[in-house]
Amino acid sequence: MNRTVNVVRMQLINKQTFVWVPLIVLGASFAMSLAIYAILNSSGLEGPFYGGGSQAPLWVLLFVGISSLTLTFPFSQAMSVTRREFFLGTMLAAAGCAVLLAAVFAVGGMIEEATNGWGINGYFFALDWVVEDGPLGAAFFYFVMAMLIFMLGFWSATVYKRSGALLLTLIWVAVGALLLVAIWAITRFEAWGDVIGALVQLGAVGLAAWGLALTVVLGGISYLTLRRAVP
Amino acid sequence: MTTGTHVIEVKNLTKHYRDVVAVDDVSFTIEKDTIYGLLGRNGAGKTTVMSILTAQNFATSGDVRVFGMQPYENAKVLSRMCFVRESQKYPDDALPQHAFRTAKLFFPHWDDDLAAQLIDEFQLPQKTRIKKLSRGQLSAVGVIIGLASRAEITFFDEPYLGLDAVARQIFYDRLLEDYTEHPRTVILSSHLIDEVSNLIERVLVIDHGRIVMDEATDAVRDRAANIVGDASAVDAFVAGRQVIHRESLGNVASVTVLGALTLADRERLAAAGLDVAPVSLQQLIVRTTQRAASEGAATEEGALR
Repeated sequence: MNRTVNVVRMQLINKQTFVWVPLIVLGASFAMSLAIYAILNSSGLEGPFYGGGSQAPLWVLLFVGISSLTLTFPFSQAMSVTRREFFLGTMLAAAGCAVLLAAVFAVGGMIEEATNGWGINGYFFALDWVVEDGPLGAAFFYFVMAMLIFMLGFWSATVYKRSGALLLTLIWVAVGALLLVAIWAITRFEAWGDVIGALVQLGAVGLAAWGLALTVVLGGISYLTLRRAVP
Repeated sequence: MTTGTHVIEVKNLTKHYRDVVAVDDVSFTIEKDTIYGLLGRNGAGKTTVMSILTAQNFATSGDVRVFGMQPYENAKVLSRMCFVRESQKYPDDALPQHAFRTAKLFFPHWDDDLAAQLIDEFQLPQKTRIKKLSRGQLSAVGVIIGLASRAEITFFDEPYLGLDAVARQIFYDRLLEDYTEHPRTVILSSHLIDEVSNLIERVLVIDHGRIVMDEATDAVRDRAANIVGDASAVDAFVAGRQVIHRESLGNVASVTVLGALTLADRERLAAAGLDVAPVSLQQLIVRTTQRAASEGAATEEGALR
């Protein structure tokens, strides 16, 4: 257990990747979103204004997930760490990062609601659909999204390490093709109304629960792949 | 120096990479508190063997025991070993200090003072990220981790790449000093055979995935001799002996023969006016490996560096 916690400290050597870059992206996208809302507000529009800028720091976690494996896994092997210890420690580090982001988003959302969107009716964190189950629901949603995106990066890097670029590309092409088929099928049977209705029905927390399940499955696959990976 | 206890036991180890056989049905044991030289040409299988022993790579077949246990996913075994690779990767943002502090977390016998002394002696810059270090400085980081971790079994895989002669001597000196004070098992893979020949107590030569020599270094040195002198006199002397190398220049021949020389041999040599020159460890291993290669089906270009 002690060695697993030490893996967290090993991962946090990359403070720039794990901490500073996500925070800088969060700060920058927040500032830019507010600036745009302010411009809209000053030109006489009343809002409310929403934007997708809050996604940006989440996508950074894709690269955090990739780099936590590609360079730190070979180093962990040199430190005589088992693959299990490396996997658990890395997940713990990622969870810490996701909790931090989720807390910032939840608190940010509460502030936005209390100040009516920073006084200009502009919302960065408190997207209607996400905050409808309260700050805890929103925190859960953002936590899962952060973990899922991290896991996508980690899983991709694991497959790459074990089997090379070709298999990874093929898998992503297959995933893309499946999504395309789904979109075609939904369009073909004119089911977009039902799909959107179901998503709204599910709510952010319900969707996050499915996201968590997907994260766990990807984590399991990553671990099994890692068990036979060579640094 | 050897206590007769085995810390590593390898039985019928084989490793295939697709069609290539990297390690071919190899069996050997490594004794406690001994410095081994794992010698062989590029691609002979040295790194593969060390990777499998430290559970970083996987055997195709065969059995590996370290401290009597399977090393794979076994923290009890792994934490007692340290493997310093020639091409080790480090986290992107890492400074040398980060690597050393992390090593301190995972190696129970880590010695901060020794690390500090080595940092000083290798003149390792402290504020430069590892990825920006020169090749020699990068090697120094690995060497420092390997020495200061004082693991019960330490593997050095060509640890001196890019290190200058002074730095290499520092490495050999500190290794020997620290080994004397804190006996442990060291497995050193090297191309610079003569440089390490005074360091290593046992020689393990691997060629084409097979062990071709597993002996005490002193015994190896006595195994062959160079007979130099008049060509016909040399030929008369070596007749019936195992010749592993022959060079001649005009009327003078230099022939390397296997087998220790007896007192009678030496008297005969003196009477015939022939000289006996010692064979360096490097020469002997090059000759032995070349012979093994020419006896085998494939003879490859290039010599042992």
